[in-house]
Amino acid sequence: RGGLAERLCRLQNRERSAISFWRHQCISDDKSPSDKSGVLIVKILEIFEECTIQVAICQQLEQSHATLSPEDAVINAEEPILKVLFTRETAAHLKSRPQDVIHIYPPWQKLLLQNADVPVIMNTYFSQKVLLSEHSEAREKTYGLTKMLIRKNIISLAQTFRLDDLDDKSHKESSDNQVPCAPQTHNNGDPKQHPSALSAINDSLLEMVESQGAVGWREVQVRVVIQRVYGLPAREGYRSHTHGSKPLLSNGGMFCRLCLLVQDAYGMFSEVQLQSLSSTDDIEQYCRRWEGKSCCLAGMKILQRTTRGRALGLFSLIDSLWPPVVPVKVPGQSQDSEMMTTNLPPPSFCYILTVQSGEIHVEVDEEEQISNLYQPPAVYGLKEILRNDGCNERCSFWAQVLYRRLQSKHSVPVDQREMLLFVTDSTLQNVVHGIPKVVAVSVTASCVLSMEIIEALSAGSQLVFFKDALWGNGRIICVERTVLLLQKPLLCSAADADLSELTGPVRLDELDSTTQANSICALRGTVVGVNESTAFSWPTCNRCGNGKLELCPQDRELLYCNQCSEVVTTPVLKMQLEVFLSCPSRSQSTVKVKVWHEITLFVLLTMPLFPQTYEVQSVLGKEVGLLNCYVHSVTSHPNCIALEEIVLL
Amino acid sequence: DVLTSRLKFIFGPCAVPALDLVDQRSVTRVRAPSGRTLYQVLGSSGKLYTCYSSCHFCTCPAFGFSVLQKSESLLCKHILAVYLSQAMGACQELAVSEDQLTNILLAEEEDEG
Repeated sequence: RGGLAERLCRLQNRERSAISFWRHQCISDDKSPSDKSGVLIVKILEIFEECTIQVAICQQLEQSHATLSPEDAVINAEEPILKVLFTRETAAHLKSRPQDVIHIYPPWQKLLLQNADVPVIMNTYFSQKVLLSEHSEAREKTYGLTKMLIRKNIISLAQTFRLDDLDDKSHKESSDNQVPCAPQTHNNGDPKQHPSALSAINDSLLEMVESQGAVGWREVQVRVVIQRVYGLPAREGYRSHTHGSKPLLSNGGMFCRLCLLVQDAYGMFSEVQLQSLSSTDDIEQYCRRWEGKSCCLAGMKILQRTTRGRALGLFSLIDSLWPPVVPVKVPGQSQDSEMMTTNLPPPSFCYILTVQSGEIHVEVDEEEQISNLYQPPAVYGLKEILRNDGCNERCSFWAQVLYRRLQSKHSVPVDQREMLLFVTDSTLQNVVHGIPKVVAVSVTASCVLSMEIIEALSAGSQLVFFKDALWGNGRIICVERTVLLLQKPLLCSAADADLSELTGPVRLDELDSTTQANSICALRGTVVGVNESTAFSWPTCNRCGNGKLELCPQDRELLYCNQCSEVVTTPVLKMQLEVFLSCPSRSQSTVKVKVWHEITLFVLLTMPLFPQTYEVQSVLGKEVGLLNCYVHSVTSHPNCIALEEIVLL
Repeated sequence: DVLTSRLKFIFGPCAVPALDLVDQRSVTRVRAPSGRTLYQVLGSSGKLYTCYSSCHFCTCPAFGFSVLQKSESLLCKHILAVYLSQAMGACQELAVSEDQLTNILLAEEEDEG
């Protein structure tokens, strides 16, 4: 390329090979090289680090003093003071401490700055420490655990822009601004005890994260507030270690871990992944006991540092908790009582922490009061949520589940399937028109449901609290970090929400021109045709309703129900039939409804031989009353809507 | 050679890219009639970064990360290129109106926000 950059590159390469050769030579030869001309001998007085360059304040020693032991060398006040700079690699190689004597071999550079009286020595690549063996052990013990003081000369912008006050603050500035940034842990003989580190409970997550890997980081404790408790599905086949030999039980077939979203006194969030949940564990219990309380985290391992762009789900939850309800501390400042937190931007990064296996490092103060920092979920009526313009916002609501439709393949266990829950509340039921009476909430596989909820949903209509569901694009979905609870939480801020029970029977929207697929509605009409090719019937057990009856092994004429373990003498015949209706509310479309019909024994005996013919004759022209249906599909050409009769929970 | 090796010693990994930028005359001093100046550096990726002359700041992500957040480095390659170009008189000059300079400064703000 030509030019300066290339020159520097070539120079760099030459230097690099020279340095490694020299260092190699130092290691192999025990004695220092014989050529002593041009060698700078210095004794380090003070050492600190600034932006990865190590600065050593040294005193230049005369040649003759080098042979004496360091203790003997008297510090002559007239000897020149030098500021010697070492690069990070050289410093690591030297491992210098105050009082060390360093030989700096040429080529080194001396720089005299205009406004400084201390000359600076640079290009100290070829430096060697003179070690006198009998003193090295003593030195190691004393300075064993001293961490390097990082001195920062913080020049305030006020100074740069000359906004200083007239009274002489500038003189104080230089000493005040040198902040020792790394804590020094003095080792008083026993390296195992760190009394100061253990007792100090930190209140900054960031500090804990940044002290990772440093000495004593396992003992660092951070006090945080638990904002949310939820379960997260773990990866397939993932297994964590638990105490003893207890087999790992998964929560209904899906491995999931208990997680906490915590916030520290500075407003910073972190997601803490705890132990795996067993099927007996109940997320609802943990939510009730832990949410809003303070807890101490210790010895956390950093799993990941994630940003807004990579973890939209997590940050939508964090956004719902921003801004904080109480003023938060601002790092680096002494804390002022009046602090404005209204203009703080929402966080853009978050650390995901996890516990070390085998040990519990989370201590929750269950007895204590709910923290002021806790923001309980804001509960709204469904009408309010549907009117919201936002996208990907978390919302919480309390609703009655009317109907459940399982979505995925039958091979997947029930609790892992995606499902569609049709819900309503009093805000929707009491509305005249314009807003649907029933809303479909999609529950994805990533939303962890406890066994209790799954069983409750199969059993009957339930009032469910949906905590932190996601609202966007006109749909409510339950994803990761959404929790479904059967009981109303103790603390929730209900903003205009009418959490009263539904009075009276539930009404569905009537079928009309706006009805869409994957919704439920009620319809009425007249039967105008029957799709005979799709009609079929099958016997069911009259006791339990089991549709899969078998032939008795003893007597092949009789039917046997293996759920009741008995012979079925009077089966109920169920028929499935597709009928075409003429519905006045949607007169333009062909309405095709799959209906079920039960025929009891009496009718069976009096029935002619072919049930299908019977059905067609009897149902044509019949009025179908208000039928609750699930809409399978809606097509415009031909204008057809296919539905299926359903039974609400 | 002496000078370049000193640069390398102090500034480490920034030195070579900065010299490269100087070689390519990527630094432009932008001046408005009021006397307000700033520097624009055409980075290696083709992106234009702004370095303030009134204080130590550059809009490149490396600055925000290495200098401000991690304190690993004193400056980024763009700022070093600015200083070197100033010293060597290798800056290109551009005179703009007051409004245009304001727009450049405000545009940076919008990006950060």
